[in-house]
Amino acid sequence: MKRVIILLLIFFIVAFTFISATHSLPGPKPHPLKLNIPPGWPKPAKDIFAGNPLTEEGFQLGKKLFYDGRLSKDGNFPCASCHQQFAAFATYDHDFSHGYNNLFTTRNAPPLFNLAWSPLLHWDGGINHIEVQPLAPLTAPNEMAENADSVLKKLRKDTAYVRLFKAAFGTPVINSQRMLKALAQFTGSMVSSNSKYDKVMRGEAKFTYAEDEGYKLFKAHCAHCHTEPLFTDFSFRNNGIDANDYLKDYGRMRITNDKNDSLKFKVPSLRNVALTFPYMHDGRLYSLGQVMEFYSTGININIPTLDSSLKKRVPMTNVQQNNLIYFLYTLTDTAFVKNPRFAQ
Amino acid sequence: MVADGKQIKIGLIIIGALMLLYGSPVTAQRNEGTITIRFTHSVQAAPLILDSGVYQNPFGEVYRVSKLKYYISNIKLKEYGKSLWLKNNYYLVDAADTASQQFSITVPAGKYESLEFMIGVDSMKNVSGAQSGALDPTKGMFWTWNSGYIFFKLEGNSTASTFVNQKIEYHIGGFAGAANALQAVNLAPPGNQTIIIHKNAVTTVYINTNVNALWKGSYDLKIATLPAMMTPGMVSKSIAENYKAMFSITNIAAD
Ligand code: HEC
Ligand code: HEC
Repeated sequence: MKRVIILLLIFFIVAFTFISATHSLPGPKPHPLKLNIPPGWPKPAKDIFAGNPLTEEGFQLGKKLFYDGRLSKDGNFPCASCHQQFAAFATYDHDFSHGYNNLFTTRNAPPLFNLAWSPLLHWDGGINHIEVQPLAPLTAPNEMAENADSVLKKLRKDTAYVRLFKAAFGTPVINSQRMLKALAQFTGSMVSSNSKYDKVMRGEAKFTYAEDEGYKLFKAHCAHCHTEPLFTDFSFRNNGIDANDYLKDYGRMRITNDKNDSLKFKVPSLRNVALTFPYMHDGRLYSLGQVMEFYSTGININIPTLDSSLKKRVPMTNVQQNNLIYFLYTLTDTAFVKNPRFAQ
Repeated sequence: MVADGKQIKIGLIIIGALMLLYGSPVTAQRNEGTITIRFTHSVQAAPLILDSGVYQNPFGEVYRVSKLKYYISNIKLKEYGKSLWLKNNYYLVDAADTASQQFSITVPAGKYESLEFMIGVDSMKNVSGAQSGALDPTKGMFWTWNSGYIFFKLEGNSTASTFVNQKIEYHIGGFAGAANALQAVNLAPPGNQTIIIHKNAVTTVYINTNVNALWKGSYDLKIATLPAMMTPGMVSKSIAENYKAMFSITNIAAD
């Protein structure tokens, strides 16, 4: 009987080693993370991580990809070349960003944060899920000018990536779906919620007199589009910015083919707005001072799709404009732009 | 106590039997067979030859095809009154890749009246992020600037085209609202044939795709007026309503 038992044992050991050698066994489980939803904020309308469980390993892989030039054709244009952390992940001081072959983007690069709340991405809302967003810059000839197959080939050659993909997804397979999901884990977990404004709301700080006056103006004239706490209601509107003769960019209409959407663009969040100049979808306004002038006197009231709330413009005295700017400064989240978790 | 040869043998036989039982394909016991669907491509009666074949559309416009790809999904077999939904797989048929033109599905044995499928990708998969397999968004069948799948892609050239280099380019898709271009196709076998699936056997259904249906249906697609269409919308939808008539079952063969 003993011998049977020994034989059986040997059999099982051999069988087990055989099975584990042929099936690459999954490594240790990745560590789950939770999206940080600041107290008092609404829940995201849809869970962008529903099919992509957020983990520390997935996040770290996404971060490496975000900063890796190999995602672009000539190695020079990682995501981070246009999305710079010190500019809240917009392109600092550029109306248009540089891309491959001395070409420029045709829209101003928006900052990246609180994307988990954004139902549609890009100025015209053309992107319906954060996971498929990177395909746009990756393949655009004026941005990264690459194709996914060639990027994946480069990644597969790098043993560091093989390890990171295995850590994040259990097996070392490197495919487009995993690359896109990892990038979404990184960009989707960027949350900016620690500005002076947030501290005031939490009772940890106080507005100055000028900031407070600015806040009142903001609530009266701006907040129905730039709605707190995200400072956007994610709708598409025309705020009086007319067509750019050179670019002929009609915004949302390109996606919906509906002329009622002509010249409508996604209402941008105003968080970190002091860092994201120049402003508007084509970067035509260089400073917040110019933005104030624009809302006061520059709105083109002949645009048929102009939002009805702006038909009379928002006339403001110089003092009011300055107070509003002081308020907008309180939306800068230094902790976010310096957060080492999102840094290279 | 020392185990004799007999005991060891019995032990091994038991283990072997357990392994067999565990590992045996379940299908062998079920009353199931296989349906293989095979696509061929033509322009009217002539076989489609990419790049070099020269064809004429119903408006007398001369054209060549360099690329033809489309999604087949949501395959169903209809069984006199009932409809049997097969696995919701997605297949990308590519006229340039013979391996993509044939696929097999395990189905309950029986007699079926017709075959149904969708040309395109249902709206759910258009809005749920990065997919894999046939739906991998890097297969050139996904609009990167306006998220969504291209359901049908035909490219080539034509002397009637006013587009750059006399190109013709039709990228048809769209899943939202009134412009939803997803099309259901219901194909009955020719004559009074039925689709019969026998247990543990393969039945091959041959489907021919006649490109010329693209140009004329309820909508007149003239190359001279519209050499390219690359966005979702009502025109794309009309073109999709034309091309859904491209398909017909030419033969059914049991092996
Ligand atoms: C060459 C510059 C450039 C590069 C490189 C680039 N982007 Fe962008 N990014 C832009 C521009 C410009 C837009 C606005 C596009 C539009 O609205 O049409 C944008 C928009 C976005 C958005 C949408 C933000 C929103 O609020 O709608 C996300 C997310 C994003 N980029 C992430 C990435 C990722 C991830 C990568 C790397 C895979 C990347 N970007 C590479 C310039 C760039
Ligand atoms: C009707 C809705 C609406 C109202 C009201 C509104 N905005 Fe805007 N705002 C927009 C839209 C839409 C854009 C983007 C327009 C574009 O790019 O063409 C925008 C852009 C901006 C930008 C540029 C942000 C960037 O990153 O480029 C700033 C700053 C701004 N608004 C501040 C304000 C202020 C201050 C007020 C109140 C005086 C205000 N807005 C009122 C809709 C509105």
